[in-house]
Amino acid sequence: MRILDLALKDLSQMLRDKRSLFFIVVMPIIFTLFMGFAFRGISQSDEEVDNRIPLALVDPQPDSRLNKMFFTRLDSSGAIKVMVMNENEAMDAFRKGEVAGVLVIPDGFSEQVEAGNEAQLNLIAETSSSEGQSIYQLLRVPISQLMSAVEIARISADLQSNPAEYSPAIELAWSKWDENSKLSLVSVEQAATEKSSDWTGGNPYNQASPGILVQFAIFGLITSAQILVQERKTRTLQRLMTTAMKPWEIVAGHLLAMFTLTFLQTILLVVFGQLALNVNYMREPLGTLFVCVALGLWVASMGLLIGVIAKVDEQVILFSMIAMFLFSALGGLWFPLEAAGGAFAAIGKAMPSAWAMNGLQNILIRGLGLESVWMAVGMLSAYALGFFLLAVWRFGKMDV
Amino acid sequence: MNAIEVKNLKKSFGDFQAVQDATFSANAGEVLSLLGPNGAGKSTTISMLSGLLTPTGGDASIMGHSVTKEPELAKASLGVVPQDIALYPDLSARENLVFWGKMYGLRGAALKSRVDEVLEIIGLTDRQKDHVGKFSGGMKRRVNIGAALLHKPDVIIMDEPTVGIDPQSRRHILDNVKELNRQGMTVLYTTHYMEEAAELSNHIAIMDKGRVIAYGSHDELIKMVGQETRIDVTLNAEAEKILDAWRATEGVARIDSLDGKITALVDDSNRVLPRLFDAASKHGVRITSVDIQEPNLETVFLHLTGRALRD
Ligand SMILES: Nc1ncnc2c1ncn2[C@@H]1O[C@H](COP(=O)(O)OP(=O)(O)OP(=O)(O)O)[C@@H](O)[C@H]1O
Ligand SMILES: [Mg+2]
Repeated sequence: MRILDLALKDLSQMLRDKRSLFFIVVMPIIFTLFMGFAFRGISQSDEEVDNRIPLALVDPQPDSRLNKMFFTRLDSSGAIKVMVMNENEAMDAFRKGEVAGVLVIPDGFSEQVEAGNEAQLNLIAETSSSEGQSIYQLLRVPISQLMSAVEIARISADLQSNPAEYSPAIELAWSKWDENSKLSLVSVEQAATEKSSDWTGGNPYNQASPGILVQFAIFGLITSAQILVQERKTRTLQRLMTTAMKPWEIVAGHLLAMFTLTFLQTILLVVFGQLALNVNYMREPLGTLFVCVALGLWVASMGLLIGVIAKVDEQVILFSMIAMFLFSALGGLWFPLEAAGGAFAAIGKAMPSAWAMNGLQNILIRGLGLESVWMAVGMLSAYALGFFLLAVWRFGKMDV
Repeated sequence: MNAIEVKNLKKSFGDFQAVQDATFSANAGEVLSLLGPNGAGKSTTISMLSGLLTPTGGDASIMGHSVTKEPELAKASLGVVPQDIALYPDLSARENLVFWGKMYGLRGAALKSRVDEVLEIIGLTDRQKDHVGKFSGGMKRRVNIGAALLHKPDVIIMDEPTVGIDPQSRRHILDNVKELNRQGMTVLYTTHYMEEAAELSNHIAIMDKGRVIAYGSHDELIKMVGQETRIDVTLNAEAEKILDAWRATEGVARIDSLDGKITALVDDSNRVLPRLFDAASKHGVRITSVDIQEPNLETVFLHLTGRALRD
């Protein structure tokens, strides 16, 4: 109970200062947005959000058999995003660059083709652009398949001299193409995923949000460790020691306050990331929670250590800054360690900050499950225990 | 049972012995003063009593609980007013008292009414909402005392609670001490003002250079110097010119010179003073002022150490 009272006193002191609210909440949000913009520029990930090529489809008879078949095929494609429009809208969108091409299906297309007449689809695209080229290539396959399905059905109806055979035959032929083309579609989709498995997993905030979150959890130590230094400077720590409060209770109270502050800050940034930036922490809510708790424990015990070692406020700021920069840079909070490589990455990966990132990104980028965070949670907890024991040892040796 | 019992207490910092074999005790319900100059070892002794420092040797007990063996029990019956203000400057007087009350285990309505009482005692009810950091030195000292009273301890230790404050606050604090004592609290009062020790105490322990050099009631201590009267003299010349001659004068128990002021302990000022004037004339020295003081604690300290209590 007294531990709780002490922690509440600490928290009210921390939050009393409006500036600390700015540092703990506003700054990290600004930095997240800033870093997110920076990553967006270098990871061409804009398209990755939806990397299908946009195509306007002008179709005057969407209910005719072939039109319908063709549309269904295109729409299920992983490479083309079909948007049905009328001709004017389509040309407008094309000029504005909203679509890479316009495919116009001529009036009476189904009837003409099935009657065995020539009919031509009209593709309007910038053939010199890579998107224009792609869309031409992508359309060629299903169109020729469609034509050959019609041809096959007609031949099979002729062979059996039974026009009633035409319908089932074309359905069959088309579905066969469909099965086969699924194979080719799979390869297209694989190419797309490989491309999007760049280090932001399709959303630049997947790197920025957890990175800044971990970094500012450490930065928050400036506020929380100062409370401890103040306690010594104002001699209130000495007075605490003359009450019936046991030394471990004093340590626990301060630790609890630091943990609470860090944890609340982290949760706030998680919520912001989830709601405002589409960073999907909630994909694995328990995993996110466990990582945040372990992160809070590690950061709080480091804060305790800084508070015990530092003699004046300026040293708190200095030590916190050193910790922040060291763990941010080495731990891959600013850029992924994979990008650094070598000894740097090897050392970096052992850092507690890197473990925190690892845990969060297993959820966010790699799309792994709850069991993927256990290692990160365990390592963070071990670091927390180490820092805590160091702090308690220094606290015991402290001159009061 | 003695409320405070100190036996052969020792504390050394490296080779330096800050407290050497201190022994004294206080009966329940009395005021005991620890009187001594700067660096005498008063705060070090108190730190050991309040569990902040571990004694190098000896032991002490509060209400029968050894401070080394049962520190929690000893602390529970003890309130400590540290020499330095120990409060949160960014919290109000009331918030400080509420917090310290909680640290002493008070809760709810009991806490609230006790905080009101203590604010009344220290006379800061109308300033309770102000931040302690904005208070004057005297007001801070009063809150500093208040924070030690919340749990109504059996024993309260005050380490120079009146240093550096205005006469009004000082008066308020001295009256507080008397009132607390009247209500039954045992008080260990540390000071280097002999007037305070004389006014407040049932017993006085005089400390110097880490040792308790005298212990007793005010009157008992005064008797140590017998009928000696203290005479302070200033001259128009160097003290050395006359010091040896005066030291040899009949009726002079002890004579010392400090910063141009000569202090003599004599057995009967009416008889000795004319002799001092005679000797001065013979040596061609003129006495410019004479101050005769009845024996007091200052005289006692001078008698024991040859130095003034305050430098
Ligand atoms: N932690 C310490 N390390 C080394 N020496 C110390 C320490 N604390 C106190 N001392 C020394 O012990 C001696 C006694 O100090 P103490 O503070 O007990 O004196 P005091 O009687 O309270 O004096 P004052 O009236 O100035 O408060 C001093 O010489 C002081 O320098
Ligand atoms: Mg002192």
